[in-house]
Amino acid sequence: MNRITSRWRNTLAVALTGISMFSVAAAQAAEITVWCWDPNFNGATMEEAFSRYKANNPDDTINVVIFDKAAMEQKLQAQLASGATDGLPDIVLIEDYRAQKYLQSFTSAFEPLTSHVDYSTFAPYKVELATLNGQTYSIPFDSGVTGYFYRSDLLAEAGITPDQLNDITWDQLIEIGKAVKEKTGLPLLPIDPTGSDWMRIMLQSAGSWYFDADGNVTIKDNPVFKAAIETYQRLLAAGITTPVSGWTEYTGSFTSGKSVSTFSGVWMTATIKANADQSGKWGVAPSPRLDGVEGAGNASNLGGSSWYVLSSAPEKEKAIDFLTSVWAKDVDFYQKILVNQGALGTYLPAREGEAFKASDDFFGGEPVWQNFSTWLAEIPAVNYGIFTEEADSATVAQIPAITSGGNVDEIIAAIDAQVRQQTQ
Amino acid sequence: MPALVLLGIFMVYPILWSLWMSFQVGRGMNFSFGGLANIIRLTQDTVFIRALTNTLLFLAVQVPVMLVLALLFANALNDSKLWGRGFFRTAIFLPCVTSLVAYSVIFKSIFAIDGIANQTLLALHLIADPINWLSDPFYARVVVILAITWRWTGYNMIFYLAAMQNIDRSIYEAAKIDGVPAWARFWYITVPMLKPVILFTSVISTIGTLQLFDEVNLLTMGGPSDATLTLSLYIYNLSFKFMPSFGYAATVSYVIVVLVGILSFIQFVAARDRRA
Repeated sequence: MNRITSRWRNTLAVALTGISMFSVAAAQAAEITVWCWDPNFNGATMEEAFSRYKANNPDDTINVVIFDKAAMEQKLQAQLASGATDGLPDIVLIEDYRAQKYLQSFTSAFEPLTSHVDYSTFAPYKVELATLNGQTYSIPFDSGVTGYFYRSDLLAEAGITPDQLNDITWDQLIEIGKAVKEKTGLPLLPIDPTGSDWMRIMLQSAGSWYFDADGNVTIKDNPVFKAAIETYQRLLAAGITTPVSGWTEYTGSFTSGKSVSTFSGVWMTATIKANADQSGKWGVAPSPRLDGVEGAGNASNLGGSSWYVLSSAPEKEKAIDFLTSVWAKDVDFYQKILVNQGALGTYLPAREGEAFKASDDFFGGEPVWQNFSTWLAEIPAVNYGIFTEEADSATVAQIPAITSGGNVDEIIAAIDAQVRQQTQ
Repeated sequence: MPALVLLGIFMVYPILWSLWMSFQVGRGMNFSFGGLANIIRLTQDTVFIRALTNTLLFLAVQVPVMLVLALLFANALNDSKLWGRGFFRTAIFLPCVTSLVAYSVIFKSIFAIDGIANQTLLALHLIADPINWLSDPFYARVVVILAITWRWTGYNMIFYLAAMQNIDRSIYEAAKIDGVPAWARFWYITVPMLKPVILFTSVISTIGTLQLFDEVNLLTMGGPSDATLTLSLYIYNLSFKFMPSFGYAATVSYVIVVLVGILSFIQFVAARDRRA
């Protein structure tokens, strides 16, 4: 009994010595904690960025914590609301649609980076949405520049060539969908009736949003909004879509060949390219534009996110140093994450790099990255404001009415009323 | 005394604080006293009305169905001559101890467009086209009701089983000798004897359904178009998804408190009347 106790004591002593030595070492080196939500995308790019930083700062370490996106947002919002900063990371990834909401509700929680970063080197629309009262708070990360991803082999069966998809309108796409359905029997697009991606893409492509630059609701009497609802209604009525529920069913639909295409953000490339057996069978065209709408273009945005430093961060200086020295300087880094993760950064000098000019065999040898960066430059900047979630949910609430061919003016009036009520 | 202090810190203080919160207006952490503004907002809020209607609909349909099922199962499994009743008891009880996320994922895959539910119905020629279970407002509600019924029936059944074991066997034997048929023994002996337990389970189930959150959040996210939005999910959206509006969220949660109070009171009164 005695022997066992003393052995335990020895083990404990050794363990304690080990821990104290470790903590001495840890006190000198900084550990930067990062929160993000996708191990293959933003998490992987962060690891890559740090491996570059580590070359000059060998003692520092990084701890990339991956959450479910909704869970991360909930945790962040709950902690900021409680005012308890313990356990918050140094750097957090925030989706662009939510940026202003966080900045305006918890202003002092984030560190302004204006004095550390030359923001003229980033895409202007990304800088604008992280700016509040003249201070910019983010290191802009990926773009959500949209494209129309299609199975070139299946469209060829229906006699559609890639040229026919260049700079078209939604109504031309609907005609193409009818031809595809007739010849191949396959639906053109999977549509999740609980989603609002289509609305975000259509609105921004014409430089409009649920709110104007001052944050006022612009739903009623907004020709872009009306055109978007009418276009979506025509799209559904054409019988060329297939309903899906949730993300897995949605991406499963076009990656398994049950439908022939989708319109989405550039980040969808990673999901599509994960199916190596479909190499050479895909193409990307510009997003369709709204018919008969002033200012409507073929470039839009869906999603995208940026890195923010918390002002309570224990390693704040280190985090800023790391972000500015890699994310705001290293052109080579952006080539690597573009090739490996399909991450299209918004650091403008990176567009001159090699990877951006390369062609991609997966997409039939097209210079897809160059195309995407060309469209990126054409995205109209809009003010997402602080109520995008509320407006989305008001729009989605009217989808049964839109689907069943309801009166567009009544639908818009209902959305407008709900948004006004929810944003008072 | 320490117990009272703990109770004060962890029960009374948060309740009073949330009551104070429910009168605050503002965005995020910048709030100010708003008087009755939140209550006025409540009366004009179409989303709130929709969430309230959905919650009450789930309550009105699901709780009676579940309790009757639980009662019937309990009665069947209480039969000492039934072969393998230990197995059936466990099988029916098991859903309520399974992981919530796991069962939601399974329900989602069962009711996917090409899921087993549609495949079975198509194979039996009961439907001509696959049903879009989770994206159709009506069927999404059906799936949510099925899911919570599946999960909680066994839980209530255990209460009834336990109570049934306490009913003296001799009462049934006497009734049998007097020639009382099985259904009448169930209706006139078992059910009245279980009245306190039935009251207890209906109060518990009512509270549980009024707070319904997990299933709708994991299965449908309140969709399609708010058809399965419940009050709890709306509170969650107000606090964590939308522009944080903690004061208003607190007001909506007090609606649940009031509803629980009223419905429990009605159930107690109803049970008392029947006894008299």
